[in-house]
Amino acid sequence: MTKKNELEYEDVSTRPVKSFFATMLTRDIKLEDAILDLLDNCIDGIARSKKGLGGKRPYEGYWAEIEFKRDSFTISDNCGGIPWKLHGYAFRMGKAHDRPSDTKGTVGTYGIGMKRAVFKMGKNCLISTQNRDSRYEVHIKPEWIEEEEEWMLPVKASKKGKDEDGTTIYIRDLYPGVSSRFDDDAAAFKADLDKLIATHYAFIINKGFQVKINGTAVKPRPTRLAFSKSAKGIKPYIFEASIDGVDIFLTVGFTRPIPSQEEASDEQTETKYSTQNAGWTVLCNDRAVLFADKTELTGWGEAGVPQYHTQFIAISGVVEFRAADASKLPTTTTKRGIDTSSKLYLRVKNKMREGMKRFTDYTNRWKSYAEESKKYIEDGTPLSLEEIKSETRNISFNKTKHTLLPGKQYSPDLPVPKKEEPNLRRISFTKERKHIERVAEYLFDDRDAKPSDVGEKCFDLILKEAKK
Amino acid sequence: MNSDRSKKMSAPPPYHLRPNKTVDRLVFLDAIRRYVRLPRKQEQYTYYTMGGPYLQDVRDMHDSFPEIKIVSIEEKEKICKRQKFHLPCNRVKIENSKMKEYIDLYAANDKKSIFWLDYTDLKYSNFEDFMALLVKVRSESIVKITLQAVARYYSGKEEEFRSQFDAILPSNYGVHPRDQVEYAALLQDMLRISAEKALSGATGFAFQPVVSLCYTDSADILTLTGVVCEKSKLAETRDCFKKWQLSNLDWRAPKKINVPFLSVKERLHLQKLLPCKKNGGKKLLRSLGHCIDETERASRIQLDQYAEFYKFYPHFIRANPQ
Repeated sequence: MTKKNELEYEDVSTRPVKSFFATMLTRDIKLEDAILDLLDNCIDGIARSKKGLGGKRPYEGYWAEIEFKRDSFTISDNCGGIPWKLHGYAFRMGKAHDRPSDTKGTVGTYGIGMKRAVFKMGKNCLISTQNRDSRYEVHIKPEWIEEEEEWMLPVKASKKGKDEDGTTIYIRDLYPGVSSRFDDDAAAFKADLDKLIATHYAFIINKGFQVKINGTAVKPRPTRLAFSKSAKGIKPYIFEASIDGVDIFLTVGFTRPIPSQEEASDEQTETKYSTQNAGWTVLCNDRAVLFADKTELTGWGEAGVPQYHTQFIAISGVVEFRAADASKLPTTTTKRGIDTSSKLYLRVKNKMREGMKRFTDYTNRWKSYAEESKKYIEDGTPLSLEEIKSETRNISFNKTKHTLLPGKQYSPDLPVPKKEEPNLRRISFTKERKHIERVAEYLFDDRDAKPSDVGEKCFDLILKEAKK
Repeated sequence: MNSDRSKKMSAPPPYHLRPNKTVDRLVFLDAIRRYVRLPRKQEQYTYYTMGGPYLQDVRDMHDSFPEIKIVSIEEKEKICKRQKFHLPCNRVKIENSKMKEYIDLYAANDKKSIFWLDYTDLKYSNFEDFMALLVKVRSESIVKITLQAVARYYSGKEEEFRSQFDAILPSNYGVHPRDQVEYAALLQDMLRISAEKALSGATGFAFQPVVSLCYTDSADILTLTGVVCEKSKLAETRDCFKKWQLSNLDWRAPKKINVPFLSVKERLHLQKLLPCKKNGGKKLLRSLGHCIDETERASRIQLDQYAEFYKFYPHFIRANPQ
């Protein structure tokens, strides 16, 4: 056996292994999210092409088309292409310190999105791009991925020009799992991807951007909150602030009437709503990084706010973060999650809880009178985030200067049910379903009559007897 | 919020007033006949059904495949009692249970199954049951699902429909279809997405559609039958049905059943002309020499249906039980 002091020590290598990027890093991201990363790059392209993203429809005229089949994936856009000066950033694994400064308002921060998406799907990729005078192609071949020593990628000038500046990424030699989802599961995959884009890019699509999947345009599905113009009707809670270069706009309210206790309880045993869009959506520079979250991440089940329950199916909120410097946004590398260590987010979360609490309290107060409460919510018009923003002109805000998060807020006065008369008492009990159905059939000739109606009718009948 | 539209329908009419339903049931038996043959043997299968009070499908199954074991799953105790009265043989087990609960406890134990999820309503939980079942059955099992498909119930209520079925809606869902076949095709797409979600390509299994039909008796109905098998056996499975004129192996829109009411005398007159591959309605109408509906066109369409489904057309005749 060799003695320890006889070993010759040498410097150890920390050079990255290519397969780490090509096959390991890709495990951290879902296929759908990888495709969203590619869409993010399209949006960043628009931010670079335009002087600003202000106005009502700044993305008008820009599009991205996704096409997937058993043996290939393509995404094409007219979003300005990759400027040659950014090639080091676009194609290098990770962001170098000497990277040229990007345009304000882009979301790419870590320099891994496009590469990770390509490696996630296949081994053979052709990226062709055109930005003003630069028009070039980069071909990532299977041999390059396998060759550990080779870190340079050949670049060729494109022979053909495009009508508009933009990028096309064409991926072949798909991994079997990916190919299978594009073919065997094509209908389910297309439906899921459509839904993901319709919700996560709702705000951008509403502002003019067009996304097509295998030829079908995605229709946006933004969160809409009931906004009543009458004094007694329900408006959402709103908070606005601007901290360290980040603009914040937060709103939470009702998307629909609250469910009755019975409806909420039925939902526990038999799914009526296949998807519950309740919860919080967090936007960073127009992209949803979190959608319909119902966990502690967005304040549910914390600091006096109850845990999410189907009773709260009507409550939704949206928080928008907007910053010229993307690194200040509280998002993760996948851009599909929240950086939970972000101080800014933790401060904003207090406001999210504060707003949400008003609506969970309302729901609890009115759950026994859900039918009556309907009129307050239905009195409102369902408004999108942008529409709520324009309505804020007609609302008087309170300033919150000396608090954890200085800003201004509107906290609505929500209706309170009339107090129950002191001589009224609630009766609540459970019985076997088959027995309830039997009595329902006896009383109403309808086995599906509401259990509460069955119980009430039984009581009324016995009361009548007792009074005789 | 709790709409009545998905609730139970009133008691279905008796079978002699439901020729379309009867055709659907007999088509199902034909599908089984084409698949359950050597090397597959009927004694390897168990038929699970929601047979209703008269166990009509159970009787038909036993007559066609006497070796198949049968389990009837019924939620209502009263109907279970009536089923026991109508037992057509001693190979039937009556289970008093909801289908959802039965599927939860069901274990294939490496045995092949034929399931008929015969729902009379349309709820997301029906699709959940379908998904839960697909991942449990053994390869080479047959699954049929029947759903209520009344388009007008959700006409103009796209958001309500979306909120209930969002997880399985196809990406092109926009304006709610009004046409019966288009709506049935939408529900079939939802079943396809459910099947793909349950048996994603990565599992190595797939749901191969075999036949899909839509018809009206007491309400509009969609039925879809398919086979669960290994992906490697898809071609072999398709081969069993490729010569069958009723097969739907690639998720095309469901075929409509709307067979006419014909007298025995009319049927006997037409039988010598059948089968006819093309222009069936035209030929039969010419031979018959009279319309069976208001117009010549309507009569021709109905006789087209007869030409297509005559093999499954029920013969209800007065019997004198002794």
